[in-house]
Amino acid sequence: MPPAKGQPVQTIEMLMSNIETIPGQSIVQMLGVVTGSTVRAKHIGKDILAGFKNIVGGELKGYTELLQEARTQALQRLVMEAHSRGANAIVNIRFATSAIAGGAAELMAYGTAVVVG
Amino acid sequence: MPQDKVDLFLSVGMPLIVTVGPLLFSWIFGNIYQKKKQEELEARIQAFGTDNLTTLKTPPAQVSASELLTASIIMSVSWWQKLLGGLKTIFGGQIQTWDEVLTWARKEAMQRLRELARTKGFDNVINVRLETSEIQSSKGRNTAIEILAYGTGIKT
Repeated sequence: MPPAKGQPVQTIEMLMSNIETIPGQSIVQMLGVVTGSTVRAKHIGKDILAGFKNIVGGELKGYTELLQEARTQALQRLVMEAHSRGANAIVNIRFATSAIAGGAAELMAYGTAVVVG
Repeated sequence: MPQDKVDLFLSVGMPLIVTVGPLLFSWIFGNIYQKKKQEELEARIQAFGTDNLTTLKTPPAQVSASELLTASIIMSVSWWQKLLGGLKTIFGGQIQTWDEVLTWARKEAMQRLRELARTKGFDNVINVRLETSEIQSSKGRNTAIEILAYGTGIKT
């Protein structure tokens, strides 16, 4: 997935999985829980368009794209934090989304930073 | 046109068109649109063939590469479905309109994960998780549901 406009390009090599290990590798060291989150609100134009789309129901593509962008950013922040701790992998990643105010959503990704070898 | 007919149209006809018109539009076109999209999804699932997703945590064989994969969709019900759902909450029981839309959204999200895994060259996706969350518009009038499917793609 290409990074969103105005966001740093992810260049750090980081192995990620949502199971307890990185398959085929063993964990050498655990470095604690790392989190990455972002709060996003959408453009008013998209909001109005989505309002029209609501007439027939179905997928709101504008929102899907927006949340994907946001999730990519949350993952990037997760990777940055793990990298700053000296990890080369993040295991057992979980996602959480919560609506904190009308029109805004918080996306969070968290996991355990580890060194695998 | 005689004055009393114009008056009748303005006092009864216009409000009726303004209130019932959009709902009627939503009912007819919402049904057509959603049915078409659901049929497209079924065709995609049929064409895809196998199911490469599993909720098991252990890979079935020796793994050479793995990566975290995510796929999501945001769905909303139509005005008509929203009205029906709202009426149903008075009496309770199963709200069929939301039921249908959520089942559809979940199918779509999982199919996207399958397709993503295949395009990235992964054989299986293990430990697949599904998450549901509510998204609201800024005025809080429209509620949409986000379905997120994620898992670890593996190459055997």
